[in-house]
Amino acid sequence: MDGIHDLGGMEGFGAIDTDAPPFRHDWERRMWAIAKNTGAPDWTLDWWRHMVERMQPATYLSVSYFEKWCLNYLTGFVTSGLFTLEDVARGTTPRTQAPPDPSGVDGALQRLRDNERFFDLDSPDPARFAAGAPVRTKSHIAARHTRLPRYARGCRGEVIAHHGAHVFPDLSAQGIHVGQHLYTVAFAARDLWGEAADPRDSVTLDLWDSYLDPA
Amino acid sequence: MTTFDSDEAAHVHRHLHSHLPSDPALRVRTLESLVVDKGLVTTQDLDSWIELYAGQVGPHRGAEVVARSWLDPEFRARLLADAAGAVRDLGYHGHATGHLKAVENTDTQHNLVVCTLCSCYPFALLGMSPAWYKSAAYRARAVREPRKVLAEFGVELPEGVAVRVWDSTAELRYLVVPQRPAGTEGMDLAGLTALVTRNSMIGTDRDLKAPA
Repeated sequence: MDGIHDLGGMEGFGAIDTDAPPFRHDWERRMWAIAKNTGAPDWTLDWWRHMVERMQPATYLSVSYFEKWCLNYLTGFVTSGLFTLEDVARGTTPRTQAPPDPSGVDGALQRLRDNERFFDLDSPDPARFAAGAPVRTKSHIAARHTRLPRYARGCRGEVIAHHGAHVFPDLSAQGIHVGQHLYTVAFAARDLWGEAADPRDSVTLDLWDSYLDPA
Repeated sequence: MTTFDSDEAAHVHRHLHSHLPSDPALRVRTLESLVVDKGLVTTQDLDSWIELYAGQVGPHRGAEVVARSWLDPEFRARLLADAAGAVRDLGYHGHATGHLKAVENTDTQHNLVVCTLCSCYPFALLGMSPAWYKSAAYRARAVREPRKVLAEFGVELPEGVAVRVWDSTAELRYLVVPQRPAGTEGMDLAGLTALVTRNSMIGTDRDLKAPA
């Protein structure tokens, strides 16, 4: 979808706060811990991202990063049926499972390592492109969730790597797991941004097969 | 069960944002109460996670990987060919490193990493990302005017250097391998590791400094 999250190339945001630290408040640290230690078993990464994309655009831009995560976890738990909106309003919910035994920092490190997830997934289709192939990205996107940013649609680029097939995000956001070939595509900055861009520069994106046509 | 109903998610988002107290600390406290009540996690395990990210997990892991690549040509070759495996060998794998790629700066190319669509970052290797990496300003501008962005970070590029911006739109994650500074011959792994800044591994820093 052409959502507010698709920020690449938008203008008017001003200077970057280059000194901003990773965490400013304790609640941000707690939110990160909650995020990486809870969830619903059938969420997919792309469904999680798509939920963020469905925040009201004005809210998306006005709340901070970790507050977005908090709202998204609450939304995810409610829409997956783990809590009700009434539970959220009350701030409590009935216990339905035994909590895990606390496992200390060693246990946390093990969970971090166990979270090394792999997204390669075979495709029944052969790869259509190899490194060096000229391609053009689709001009229009039908899926609600997609990883082809607005700024790189209808643009000519060159495949610089083929990574085999990976889970296709447009369908993964609907809970459907299908593999599709994934490529890194390089675009000349001037093909994306016109004469204002530096002729020496380039931008690469990691793009799935169905986002591309031969050029 | 998750319904994957996009419009329902939009509706619940709107409801929660308009009904919850506006203080984000209170919102997170509500979420923590719910997940602990439910039995999904314990308060102690949340505390342990925070401790993990305050100590063992942080940019010093990536810095050590870069310093090793300066000292050991075999390790460097492995890192550039299979960064995920090279990092796993050191035990620094985990969240978002499964498809890690290392991209090296050279005399003629500078690399810069961004995620314009969300906030993808190799967390297990570099720790929590800096707030600016997730900001709308960085995500919007890095792909369009990378040289202006670099200038804001104090990076000046020599005439012959091209900028390549890596927009991580899939589950690949990128580690920039900065160049070894001159004047560091004979330094050991610990000494070199201390020279590598977090920003140099994202690409918003370039010329690392040898000790005076």
